[in-house]
Amino acid sequence: MNIKVFFALLLGRLVRWILRVIHRGGTDMPGRIALKLCPQLLRYLARDVKTVAITGTNGKTSSARMVEQAFADAQLSYLANRSGANLISGVTTEFIMNATLTGRPKCDYAVIECDEAAAVKVFPQLRPQVVIVTNLFRDQLDRYGEVTHTLSNIRTALTGLPETTLCLNADCSLTASLAGDLPNKVVWYGLEKSAAPRNVPEPPVSDATHCIRCKTKYDYDYRTYAHLGGFRCPKCGYARHAADVAVTEIVEQKLDGSTVIMDVRGARKLVRANLPAVYNIYNAAGALAAVTEMGIDVDTGIAALGHFNCGFGRMEQFPLGKAGARMVLVKNPAGCNQVLNFLQDIQEHFVLVVCLNDRGADGTDISWIWDAEFEKLGLLGNRLERVIVSGDRAADMLIRIKYAGVPTERITLERSYETIVSQLADEALPIVLMPTYTAMLELRSTVVRHVGGSEFWE
Amino acid sequence: MELKICHLYPDVLNLYGDTGNIVCMSRRLQWRGLGVSVTKAPIGSPLGLSQYDLVFIGGGQDFEQQVLLDDLHRGRDREILAAVEDGMPFLTICGGYQMLGAYYETHTGERCDFIGALDLYTKGSDTRMIGNYKFQCSESAGGSVIVGFENHSGKTYLGAGMEPLGRVLRGYGNNGEDGTEGAHYKNVFGTYSHGPLLPKNPAFCDLLLKTALERKYGQCELTPLDDTAELAAHDEMCKKLE
Repeated sequence: MNIKVFFALLLGRLVRWILRVIHRGGTDMPGRIALKLCPQLLRYLARDVKTVAITGTNGKTSSARMVEQAFADAQLSYLANRSGANLISGVTTEFIMNATLTGRPKCDYAVIECDEAAAVKVFPQLRPQVVIVTNLFRDQLDRYGEVTHTLSNIRTALTGLPETTLCLNADCSLTASLAGDLPNKVVWYGLEKSAAPRNVPEPPVSDATHCIRCKTKYDYDYRTYAHLGGFRCPKCGYARHAADVAVTEIVEQKLDGSTVIMDVRGARKLVRANLPAVYNIYNAAGALAAVTEMGIDVDTGIAALGHFNCGFGRMEQFPLGKAGARMVLVKNPAGCNQVLNFLQDIQEHFVLVVCLNDRGADGTDISWIWDAEFEKLGLLGNRLERVIVSGDRAADMLIRIKYAGVPTERITLERSYETIVSQLADEALPIVLMPTYTAMLELRSTVVRHVGGSEFWE
Repeated sequence: MELKICHLYPDVLNLYGDTGNIVCMSRRLQWRGLGVSVTKAPIGSPLGLSQYDLVFIGGGQDFEQQVLLDDLHRGRDREILAAVEDGMPFLTICGGYQMLGAYYETHTGERCDFIGALDLYTKGSDTRMIGNYKFQCSESAGGSVIVGFENHSGKTYLGAGMEPLGRVLRGYGNNGEDGTEGAHYKNVFGTYSHGPLLPKNPAFCDLLLKTALERKYGQCELTPLDDTAELAAHDEMCKKLE
């Protein structure tokens, strides 16, 4: 412990205190300032903390909440960057707030979600025991660049951490390729053919049609969604690896969750995840792979999946309107397509609110909304009672939905979240709120003001 | 009346929402009671370009570029060149636009030969030209103001006889140096504009459709559509870029 660490911690705490006094979250700035003073602060604070880190394009937050619940149920003392501040500044802030001023960690464990581009800075300092890489899809191309670039970023982040166990999505050909390049122990998870939906067509837009190793077009034994599934390169032989945590059967898929059968390291288990949709089945399998690797008992890990609290805006429910509202964050085409699939399964009529922003954290390029299959909204017919578009780029969202085949008389543009939320208070039909990241922060605050709930940093 | 649209290389050139252009053209034909069919021509499939009325090529990742070049050089480049000379309408975006040029030179000096249908070439640079931008089309391309999103590190330079598609009003355009954006040759419209291009620029979309319809059926007028929503999005971005 040196004097620099002490002052960095003091400064970080002070900044946080000031921000909280003025009702700001302060989930990022304290760390950013403390790191200026002591660039290796995170390494120091994390040195004795056993960490599960989660990175990848989609599912980071939900996976982190699943892992966190297992930690809580196993009665471990842990910290987590729950607010979603997942750059090195946010991660460091969390460690500052969970350390004494002498730099001694107050927790034995940590659950950290980490931005894919930030992993290069975070992982070498954090030195996690286990890293889950959920998947890789095109995402905010203006910020991350091509998906292969993100992949090589993650590879670089993991280089120099040979002791770390990797939990990799076996069905994602991009993610899985990390295994061949690194010496690390790998625990694989994925969906078996027996659990895959029947006859999933080749998606109109795929991020990985050609072999990451030799650029030959992949063959697929089965697909689950997007480019995920039983891929196989006919030329070089690069193919899906058998999964250690394997979903073998989907028993039931409902709006409030899924029940599946998993083969967890050789044991057949019935698993219920309390978030709907196939992508959350993947998240559950990944989380289970990680927590068992951390030494938590399988059944504790499975029980946690059935009662964890989903992250902010991840299918989060609010008592807004007479039939309630769900908020689902969308950030990129793959995630958005999953949500659009989920909407197909809603049997009642419903009201949809889509809020599109183009600020830094959302990506300034909003063209991705045309890669997402909003045409599925057009196919809903009368079940989609109406759509409200909002956000900085509401006008663009409106034309996307118009061209998707939703009649224009069903689409309204409303800039004010306040107006939207107060109007929806009397809504008789179920409501689905679909914001991008920065829109979610504002919209969620407005909803919380009306119906109660906690702010994102609480 | 019906337009047959060929979507070239949708399997590898599908970045940045460019397929939205296909959606846009299709809808605007359907709303007018006109027919449309879209045929995907992925890598390795036979082309037969002459059976189509309009060809669309989008932008893609660098990762698949070699796969694409191998496919092009199996004779497709000659077929595309002939179609261009024959007056086939093309809409080509970013990578698809560069591909119609003579070559691409990486910043380490390596050269990839492209189709050579347009007298232009592209040089790799280490600056990324990225952001919302706008340009004014030349008279021959309708004269409208176009808003889009550009994201490229290649700098494109037009040959002496090559007309640009327009002049940059805000942003970088072809190379960030000479104020030109895109290229217009015969019925080929090449541009860096993602966004996607057509939904927010309905006048340009209709110009393209009219060009294709007239080539096939002779003189025709398009029924006007209610473009209130499209123009609102267009004008909003125009204002942001003032």
